[in-house]
Amino acid sequence: MLKTARTLALIAALAASPLTPVFATHAWAAGDVVIGLDANIVGLDPADLNDNLSMTASRTMLQGLYGFDKDMKMIPVLAESTDANAEATEFTVHLRKGITFHDGAKFNAEAVKISFDRARNPENHLKRASLYQPIKSVDVIDENTVKITLNAPFGAMINNFAHQAFAISSPKAIAEFGKDLGRHPSGTGPYQFVSWETDTLKVKKFDKYWKPGLPKIDTLTIRSTPENGSRLAMLQAGEAQFIYPMPPELVKVVEKSPAIDVVASKSIYARYVAMNTLRKPFTDVRVREAMNYAVDKNAFLKVVFAGYGVPLDAPLPSNLAGYSKQGAPYPYDPAKAKALLAEAGYPNGFETVLWGGNSTITQRGMQFLQQQFAAVGVKVQVEPLESGVAAAKIWNVKTPEEATTMMHYTAWSASTGDADWGIRPLLYGKAYPPVLFNTSYYNNPQVNADIEAGLTTADAAKRTAAYNDAQAIVWKDAPWLFLVSDDNIAAKSKKLSGIYVLPDGQMLTEEAALN
Amino acid sequence: MSATLPEPAVATTIRTPIGEFWRRFRRQRVALIAGLIILLIILAAVFAPFVAPFEPATPDYDNILEGSSALHWLGTDAYGRDVLSRIIWGGRVSLMVGFLSVALGAGVGVAIGLISGFFGGWVDGVLMRLMDVLLAFPGIILAIGVVALLGPGIDNVIYAIAVFSVPVFSRLVRGSTLALKQTLYVQAARSIGVKAPLLMLRHILPGAMPGVIVYASLRLGTSILTAASLSFIGLGARPPSAEWGAMLSDGRSYLGVADHLTIFPGLAIFVIVLAFNLFGDGLRDALDQKLR
Repeated sequence: MLKTARTLALIAALAASPLTPVFATHAWAAGDVVIGLDANIVGLDPADLNDNLSMTASRTMLQGLYGFDKDMKMIPVLAESTDANAEATEFTVHLRKGITFHDGAKFNAEAVKISFDRARNPENHLKRASLYQPIKSVDVIDENTVKITLNAPFGAMINNFAHQAFAISSPKAIAEFGKDLGRHPSGTGPYQFVSWETDTLKVKKFDKYWKPGLPKIDTLTIRSTPENGSRLAMLQAGEAQFIYPMPPELVKVVEKSPAIDVVASKSIYARYVAMNTLRKPFTDVRVREAMNYAVDKNAFLKVVFAGYGVPLDAPLPSNLAGYSKQGAPYPYDPAKAKALLAEAGYPNGFETVLWGGNSTITQRGMQFLQQQFAAVGVKVQVEPLESGVAAAKIWNVKTPEEATTMMHYTAWSASTGDADWGIRPLLYGKAYPPVLFNTSYYNNPQVNADIEAGLTTADAAKRTAAYNDAQAIVWKDAPWLFLVSDDNIAAKSKKLSGIYVLPDGQMLTEEAALN
Repeated sequence: MSATLPEPAVATTIRTPIGEFWRRFRRQRVALIAGLIILLIILAAVFAPFVAPFEPATPDYDNILEGSSALHWLGTDAYGRDVLSRIIWGGRVSLMVGFLSVALGAGVGVAIGLISGFFGGWVDGVLMRLMDVLLAFPGIILAIGVVALLGPGIDNVIYAIAVFSVPVFSRLVRGSTLALKQTLYVQAARSIGVKAPLLMLRHILPGAMPGVIVYASLRLGTSILTAASLSFIGLGARPPSAEWGAMLSDGRSYLGVADHLTIFPGLAIFVIVLAFNLFGDGLRDALDQKLR
C-alpha cells in the first residue's frame, strides 16, 4: 500500500504541477517595477540581437537616432531632423544637443560614427550587420551633424535607424569593453544598467536623462518566466506588475480581477504557413489555393488565440505601413478546396509534413491545421521543432535543392515598421535561406522588381504603388497559407501605467509609473 | 463397521491450485472491486467504437471548452472534441501500453532470471551486474533516456517501459529459482536425468510464477503512469491520439478556464492505477506462500 500511496502522490503532483504557486522572494519597494516575460534575455548589445525580448531589454537603456511611439509611429529620438537627397542615398542627420551617456561620455556626431562603424564592421561579426549593409560611410560634419551615405538608394533607411539595432552605445564603453560591450551596456536611455543574470535584468533610473520628469520609477526588473501559469501567478501575487505575453486562453481567469487589467492591442504579426513552391505538390498554384480555402481562419483565431486577432487579408498585416487590402480573406470552403485538389491531380489528397516551433500555442495552431487539412483529405504530420533543430533543418540550408521544408508554420513582425522589411525577407527571390527567411522559396520576377523599386526610392507614392502591386501578385500566387494577425496581449497591475507593447512585440518602458 | 468411520478428511480439502487461489482471493473485497473496475475499463476500451458517444478526433469549433452538459457529459476540449469519448478511446492506448510493456518486460526479465539463477557462476555474475546497471537509474529517467535514443512515439514508450521493468522481474525470478533449485522435487527430477531447459520450464518456472503475476499486476499501474508521464512531457503519444497523459498536458494550459480538461483524464489515470495496485495487493495476499 505504501507503493500505492506514493503513486497517488505522484499523480497528484503531475496534475497539480502547473498550479504550483511561485513564492515571492523579494518585497519590492514602491518605485520598483517588475516585468515578467516568456524567455531569457540573450544579450544586451543592440547590434548583436535578433529577438524581440532582448531588444526590449536593450531599449530600456539604449536609444537610436529614431524610435517609435506607442503606436509604432516613427519619431525622432536622438535626432532632431534628417535631410535626405532625392535619390535616397545621402542622409544628413541633425542631432539633439546636450545629451550624455550613462558613463558620462558626451553624445555627439563622433559618438554616432563610432557606434555605427563598430556595428557594421564585418570583422566584429555582429548579427545585425546586415541591417547596416546599405551604408557606405558615416561622416562627421560638425559636433551635432552627421552624414550617412549609402551604397545604393534605399527609401526605408530612416526606418532602419528606428530599429533597435541602430541604438547608439557610448564611445567610452565601446573603447573600454570591446567584445564585452553586451555585458556593460551604456546608452542615453531612461534607465542605466545594474545587473544581468540568466533570467533577470535589473536597471535603475538615470538621473541625468534628457527628457525632463522621466523616468518616474526607481528601478525596473525584467524576469523571464517561460511557464505561462507561473508568469500569470507572478502578476496575481503582486510579484510582477506587468506580464507579456498574457496567454490568450487564460484571459477569462483575470478578466474580472479588481487588481489586474488585460491589455490587448493590434500587432504587426503576419502568421502564415509557407509552402515550398519548389516541391511537389506545392509547385501547383491550385494546391496552394486549396490549402487557403481548407482552413477556417475565424475558427483558427477562436481555438488558438481565444479570438484575439483578425484574419489576414493581404500578405502584410493591416497595421503595417504599406499594407494594401486584397479583398476578403480566402473564405473557408472545403468543397472548393477539394475541387481544386482534384483539378490539380490529387482527388484523394496527399501526405505532407508541417514544421513549426515547439511552444504550446504553436503546437495548438499546428494541430488545428492538421484537423482542417484532414477534412479535405490532406494528411499532415505535425513536427514541432526545437529551435536548434529548426535552425539546421530550415534556416541553415545552403541551397534550395537541399531544403526539405514542405510546410512551415511561422509568423513575422517587421521591426522597422515598414513594408520593405515585411515583404523582402520573406518573399524576395534573393531572400532564400540561409540569407534571409523566404521558406516558401517564392521567386516571382514582377514581385522581385516591385521590391527593388520600393527599396530604391524614398518617394512615398512610388513605394506605395510598388508594394501594392507586389501584394496583389503574392495574394494571387498564394505561396503562403494566409492565416491571421494575432493581437499582442499583456496583463498589468491596475496601479501601473506607461508600459506599452509595440505592434511588433517589443515594449516601451520609458513612461512607466506606479500610482 | 466401515459405515461408522468418518469420511477421510483428505477427500474434502484437496483443491486445485485455481480453486485454492479463488478461495483465498474472494476474501479480498477491495481487490475484487478493483478487479471489477479494471474489467469495466477493459471492456469500455475494447468496445470503444460502440461505447463512446462521439468520434474522439472529430472537432466541433462551435462548442469549444464547454463544461459538462447532457450532450457532452465530461465537456469538450480546445477543439470541441468530446472529452468522455477521448478518455474511452484513450483507455485503449493506456491499457495497450500497460499490458504490452509489462508482458515484454516480464518475458525478458523472467528468462534472464531463470537462466541466471539456474546456471549460477559467471553467467549469473554477468547478467546480474547488467541488471544492477539498469536498476541504478531511477525508472522514469531510464525511460526518458530510452525514448531519447529511439525517438518519441507510443511504440518506443512501450520499449522504454519494458526496459525498466526487466531488472526487477529478473531479480525476482532469480531469487525464486535459487530457492526452488534446492527443493527435493527439482533434485529428484534432475537425478532422473531431466534436461536443463525442461527442468527450468516445467519444474522451476511454475513455482516462480505467483511472484511474477503479483508483481506484473502491480507493475501495470506503474507502467500506465509512466507512459502518461512520458506523453505529458511530449515524448509519448502524438496528436491527435487521445492518450491520457497527452490530454492532461493539453489541458494544462487551460487550468482555471476549463479545469475539466485536466480533472477527468487525471481521474482516469488515478482510477486505473489505483485499481491495478489494489488488485495487485489482493493477488499477493492470495498467492504469497509466506502469508499462508
